[in-house]
Amino acid sequence: MHLRRLTVAVSVAALGIVAACGGGSDDSGDGGDGEFVEGGGAGALWNENAEAPAPEIEGAQTGGTVDVWGTSGLQSMHPTEAYFTNTTSILSNLVTRSLTQYRWNDEAGAMELVPDLATDLGRPNEDFTEWTFTIREGIKWQDGRDMTMDDMVRGIEASIDNHADGAFPNGAQYSRTYFKGGEDWAGPYTEPNGGCDCVSVNGQDITITMARPFPDMPYWGSFPAMGPLPEEAESEDVAAYGLSPWSTGPYKFESFDPGTSQLVLVRNEFWDPDTDPGRHAYPDRWEFDVDRGDPTVVDRTFIEDQGDTQTALTYDNVQQSAREDAEASGRLTTGPVPCTIFWYMDTRKPEWENIDVRKALGTAWNFDDYRLATGLSMGLTAIPGTMILPPGLPGRKDPPFDVIGNGGSGTGDPDKARQMLEAAGALDTPVIFAFDASDPTQVDGKNTIVQALEEAGFDPQPRAVANADKEDEMTQDPDAPVNLRHLGWCSDWPSGSSWFSPVFSSEGSSNYSYLSVPEVDQKILDIESKDANAQPPLWGDLDEEIMTDYYPVIVDYYTANAMLHGSKIMNMENDEIRGMPTFADIWIQQ
Amino acid sequence: MALPPLEADESLQHVDEVAQTTSETAIHGRSPTRIAMERLRKDKVAVICAGVILFFILVAIFAPLITRAFGVELRSYPGSEIIDINTTYGKVGPPDHGFTWDHPLGVEKGTGNDLLAEWVYGCRTSLLVATISTTLSTLIGIVVGLLAGFSRGWLDRGLTFVIDVFLSFPFILGALMLAPIIYSHFAADAEKLGQAQFWALIGVLTIFTWMPLARLIRGEVFSLREREFIQAARVIGVPTRRILFRELLPNLIAPIVIFYSLVLPALVTAEAGLAYLGIGLTERPSWGQTVNKSVQFFEEFPLWLWAPVLGIIALVLALNLLGDSIRDAFDPKTRR
Repeated sequence: MHLRRLTVAVSVAALGIVAACGGGSDDSGDGGDGEFVEGGGAGALWNENAEAPAPEIEGAQTGGTVDVWGTSGLQSMHPTEAYFTNTTSILSNLVTRSLTQYRWNDEAGAMELVPDLATDLGRPNEDFTEWTFTIREGIKWQDGRDMTMDDMVRGIEASIDNHADGAFPNGAQYSRTYFKGGEDWAGPYTEPNGGCDCVSVNGQDITITMARPFPDMPYWGSFPAMGPLPEEAESEDVAAYGLSPWSTGPYKFESFDPGTSQLVLVRNEFWDPDTDPGRHAYPDRWEFDVDRGDPTVVDRTFIEDQGDTQTALTYDNVQQSAREDAEASGRLTTGPVPCTIFWYMDTRKPEWENIDVRKALGTAWNFDDYRLATGLSMGLTAIPGTMILPPGLPGRKDPPFDVIGNGGSGTGDPDKARQMLEAAGALDTPVIFAFDASDPTQVDGKNTIVQALEEAGFDPQPRAVANADKEDEMTQDPDAPVNLRHLGWCSDWPSGSSWFSPVFSSEGSSNYSYLSVPEVDQKILDIESKDANAQPPLWGDLDEEIMTDYYPVIVDYYTANAMLHGSKIMNMENDEIRGMPTFADIWIQQ
Repeated sequence: MALPPLEADESLQHVDEVAQTTSETAIHGRSPTRIAMERLRKDKVAVICAGVILFFILVAIFAPLITRAFGVELRSYPGSEIIDINTTYGKVGPPDHGFTWDHPLGVEKGTGNDLLAEWVYGCRTSLLVATISTTLSTLIGIVVGLLAGFSRGWLDRGLTFVIDVFLSFPFILGALMLAPIIYSHFAADAEKLGQAQFWALIGVLTIFTWMPLARLIRGEVFSLREREFIQAARVIGVPTRRILFRELLPNLIAPIVIFYSLVLPALVTAEAGLAYLGIGLTERPSWGQTVNKSVQFFEEFPLWLWAPVLGIIALVLALNLLGDSIRDAFDPKTRR
């Protein structure tokens, strides 16, 4: 999934919020709402028997206005196109309903997948090429009109228009990839006379036919794109509908200004909690103001906690400069985000052909100095690790395996690396990577890499680029003159299929190590066609196999959230699927 | 601002020669420069400022000796030895610990660079960049101004046009544009990149500062070239080059010195400003860069920001005040 405002493959330089500066202290860490727990159970939880209405939250009070502040702005709020963590989360939690949804499971301390408009999590056929959902009755639009099955079909088919030339170029493309006929039809907006045989209706049942096995359909069903669209959505122009999408959920748009990213949500009186197993709607009003200038100011305001700030929250990570105060305030919500930041070695290049040379780089790698120099908030928003799957992903190995044996931290072992290089006859292997020369912390980080690698017998060749955008460009360009790339990947849903296929299969969209091994490709296909519940341990095994037998990446760190809120905001947890607050459960102390 | 042409004044060489041969006058002549220097010497502000500037110049020249005397080293990686991995501040020194002679200004957050060494070498960078580019722009300004002022017709028009073009071009934009070009040229070699950045910065600062001086000098030359001593020199066949540099230039000392003393502090600020914007020097220490890094952490580690800021303020203030004093001293109309 897109990080807020970022593209799928996230370069670390672009993660400015995370990496902008260093610091803070662990000493006062006890003040936080919750310490980060490695390997929390997470979205492996499916609960198809969740009953509507959602269970009351003890002591929760109704009423009040929640202010949400941020600095990263809002992209398209059209439900079909919403694919950033913030837009998806706001729409799903508060405005639009879809086939399935996530809700916070307090016992597990994680999100669980529960039904939403459907009464269950879908019924697949034998080989997961057909999914049937039974839609609830009595769902109403925000004007009181009944939501019809036609509206469902209209909404689901619209998601086929999610492609570069379609009406929604920035949307997620799963419908197009998996739905039967999805690839041959440009979608209802771009090609109104076309169609696919992918969605059929029988009474309250809606059946989606796939071109190939898609066991993860219930996860895709939780996206706003997998919900209904009213007739008006088709008659109106796409951009206009995106300014005020119709609500089936507890709140509706009062006003939305995409220029300033200011969004006001008010109650939708036609939402019936008895049809909804996931959402609470305690506050009366939500006011999003998420394109504020300076994150340091936002942090300071929350730490002061005066006036309106007491009923406000932010989903931006706390800056490292404010880390100590934020942790001491006790109003910091922390938790994992399903992202791993890698150093990808370009396995196409002859210098990386030998796996021993790749492992020598991992052995020589100076994690600590680089992290210190680039100012990562280790332990708070950056977690060291050795495995591809980040904490919270089902199937992740426990206890963790560690191919290099340094736990993903430390200052590296230059002597051992040198021996490995000598044994492989590969002394002075060039290591070419881009760095943003306009950012002094990046320059410092580059210096630590150069020093550590020179000591180990590599030939580090940093390439200066003028700014963060240019660095993105260079790291994401397959023909760029670099052989080491620093990029991250975040999953759309908690399954290994969201990791290995895009990042390590030869056709993967984010395969920046350019690993191309037929056995790995075949394994990924095999596991993907299995039942979603049988997949996790297999993904864990594949994780270990790739790291042990191919070692195409150095795992740099996993990202995590640390979000501040005011003292009257209650029950704010970290939604580890999207890395956002659990909007649907928040209430205000009166 | 310009001086009136010298009449009975024997300071100019050619006049001197003539005077010596014609008559031994009893009046002891003083050159305008000498008058100005005497005035400056009596100006307390000027003397104090000169002292401050001298201090910074000595710091810049003897940077390696100073760091050695304090037992610190510039950018001695790795930082993990000196940095507390939890706080990412130094294990010794401010902000978390007391003063220590090992690192008098503390160490940089994250990298563990000694901040005294950064400051001392940052001073060197500031002065070096500012001095070189001020000198270069002064030279260019003089040459262009003299040529444009003295030549009538197409050369004057051409040079005036060039001056106008450079004046109309925005400085920050030019610097912003240049940075990516330099990076793409020297991307692969950090050492060359450092050199390229250094000279490119000097180039940018020079290119965008010489025009006012050229204009000023052109205007002065306009009025001077009609004076009798120039006319006389032309009549007796003195070559143009000699007229320009031996007859005209000595009369332009005042505007040149004033320009130099006022542009120097402006360029110190500009260098720091560009470094702060991330388009200045990154491969060597610079005050602007330190400001850029430290400004976010002012609440926890104020000294980190104060050191370069005070350095810039003291140096620029001293240079500016001295510049003002020099202007006053050279201006015959002021009497203090």
